[in-house]
Amino acid sequence: MATRAGTPEKEGGGLGRVFREEFRNRERRTAYYMILPTLLVILGVAFYPIAVSLINSFRLSLPGQPGGEWAGLQNYVYLFRDSPFQAAFINTVVFTVVSVALEFVIGLAVALAINRAFKARGLVRAAILVPWAFPIVVSAVMWRLMYQDQVGIINYIVTALGLIDQPILTDNVTVMIGAIVSDVWKTTPFMALLLLAGLQTIPGDVYEAAKVDGASRVQQFFRITLPLLGPSILVALLFRTLDSWRVYDLFWAMSDKQLESLSTYTYKAVRDSQLLFPVGNAAAVVTFLTAFLIAIFFIKVLGMKTSTEA
Amino acid sequence: MSSVVAERAGGRSGSSKRRGRLSRRDFLRLSGAGLAGAALLGGAGCGGGGEQTSGVTNLVFSFGPDDSGSLTQVVDRFNEEYQGEIQAEYRQMPSDTSSYFNQLRTEFQSGASPVDVIGGDVTWPAQLAANGWILDLSDLFTEDMRSDFVDATVQSCTYQDKVWGVPWFTDVGLLWYRQDLLEESGFSEGPQTWDELKEMAEKTSRDSGTEFGFIFQGAQYEGAVVDGLEYIWTSGGNVLTDSGEVLADQPDPITGLTTQRSMVEDGVSPIAVVNYKEPETHTAFLNGSAVFCRNWPYMYGLLKDPAQSQITPDQVEITTLPYNEGGESHSGLGGWNMYVNAASEDKLDAIWEFIRFFTMNDEQQRFRATSGGFLPPLKSLYEDQEILDSQPVVSIAGDALERALTRPISPFYSDVSLAMQRQFAESLKGAVTPEEAAQNLQQEISSRIELGQRLLVEDRSG
Repeated sequence: MATRAGTPEKEGGGLGRVFREEFRNRERRTAYYMILPTLLVILGVAFYPIAVSLINSFRLSLPGQPGGEWAGLQNYVYLFRDSPFQAAFINTVVFTVVSVALEFVIGLAVALAINRAFKARGLVRAAILVPWAFPIVVSAVMWRLMYQDQVGIINYIVTALGLIDQPILTDNVTVMIGAIVSDVWKTTPFMALLLLAGLQTIPGDVYEAAKVDGASRVQQFFRITLPLLGPSILVALLFRTLDSWRVYDLFWAMSDKQLESLSTYTYKAVRDSQLLFPVGNAAAVVTFLTAFLIAIFFIKVLGMKTSTEA
Repeated sequence: MSSVVAERAGGRSGSSKRRGRLSRRDFLRLSGAGLAGAALLGGAGCGGGGEQTSGVTNLVFSFGPDDSGSLTQVVDRFNEEYQGEIQAEYRQMPSDTSSYFNQLRTEFQSGASPVDVIGGDVTWPAQLAANGWILDLSDLFTEDMRSDFVDATVQSCTYQDKVWGVPWFTDVGLLWYRQDLLEESGFSEGPQTWDELKEMAEKTSRDSGTEFGFIFQGAQYEGAVVDGLEYIWTSGGNVLTDSGEVLADQPDPITGLTTQRSMVEDGVSPIAVVNYKEPETHTAFLNGSAVFCRNWPYMYGLLKDPAQSQITPDQVEITTLPYNEGGESHSGLGGWNMYVNAASEDKLDAIWEFIRFFTMNDEQQRFRATSGGFLPPLKSLYEDQEILDSQPVVSIAGDALERALTRPISPFYSDVSLAMQRQFAESLKGAVTPEEAAQNLQQEISSRIELGQRLLVEDRSG
């Protein structure tokens, strides 16, 4: 980790010179030729579509039309004024923040619990992963059935408890809560697994030393476990945040296409709508850029932590 | 995001320490094989398409899944009758109307569709025609022929005074109710107005202990656009005229949406109707859980079948939809028409034979009506004893069709519909008031049409 943070400075001195040096070395030249096909494939399948979306988002054109007039930021202005997009953006933010926070807290508790030595530990660890093994659409449809007003057990229970006065699926707020609950159920195991891997890298003698020095359990957790788990936590949070940010299948399968996220808005604009194609491209770019910013934010935080450690 | 990850992974493996030669060579070989595979796949994807074999014209006809099996039979009959001249092939498309349209649109936008005859929804002609994707059939489908068809069905093929399709089968919204329960509560006949419906539904469901008073389709999808528009039309309003005038925020549409919302607010309909599509509606009604129900004629086939229904046809009465003061009964028109791909003009003779066989041939229409329950668009068949015996619902559907209205005919229908789907659902849920929904609808439809006109002008200059 520490060496990776140092490499950019070494390569920093003049791109042309680096290229000349690299290509003068025969062995390295061969290496570059060999990775060339891979780079071309990545360019073709990853960068080309992104570039086309970006260009389309600044144009007024429909698919199949060559060219099209440059629209400047018009598509973006239209996008941010579009109330369904505003709703989709807010939904995505709420969903991401709440579900990732819950998954982290519960996932950490689960990880701590199954990190101890007890009988059938392997079995429990495997069992806990079951929800995560479900395809998202399958689990979403399953939860939808439980929320349904005629046969749904959850709907029945919360109605009997007097928590809601109308069926879960008929109100935007309760549908969102339902989506968060099913996402937490499904992806907490993933979070727990990542955190468990982190927990296992913490050497046991640190705790022994703390015990000898008279540290309480709570002190051990906040002074030893959490700081040493830091890098694992950030990786887990980054994965889950990006996953939640692009939520699509869960919303559509669970709410029968009624709950909007950034991704479902993009799909609707590009596919269902005939006219919003350029606006949909702008939405795709916004989704991509915001996700990118989230990733950069996390990576910066991550880099900072690791460098202070070294 | 995946691309960012890929980029990072790619960059890292490039700058990481050199590995053994073998692994690199393996890697290269693998990526080479991958590329070759992709090329092969691409080549295979380009194949296909109808080749003309000696003297026989091949036609491709697209339509959603043939659940009743009757479509395949009619196609077989056609191929038998025209053996050696025309060979038609049925190409199955998605059952979801929007997905079907998306697929078709993508094919046209990418330059060519292999489909010659499109079995398409009544809402499509304006969009297909405005883009020049289908042929104007005004000359082939003469005034004389058109007079045999129910007016509303011909109307649904018309855009800018030209006829772009031929009606194939039709559909119309109807009011179904439990005559037996109504009589027990002292009502001798069905409701004329929405207020009467509410009153009857309240009393009858209370007297008989029936769970719901009235159910209809309220989910956020195309089907509920028809339901929402029916409330607006029966209140004397409209959302968008054929000339492109947006009328959504006028008093009459607001009355319509208020009536719809009041069904839920007054407890006549369960709030769960905001999740209802056709299957939920017919399941609840056929289980005997509702007194009144708005649904399409297909429900009659299920009602007749004791395996599907807890109630029998003689407990049920069917009528045209109620209305509000100042309005009159109108039903939304559903159904499917046949359109011709503009690129298939050279096969037009064969195509026209095909279309006539399916749409204007009494025998085939009768077969589809009796075996599949598809309402014929031909007026004469509404007095056909064989059809009436098999599907008594046809006689009332004939009355409803006389006052059936088409959804807005607009080259931007997809977008107009998305706006209606959203606002009707929000209003029904109570997330916004009917007034707010009407204003949002006015604003959204207007802004989409404005955008559409700019894009379409762009289309012509490009």
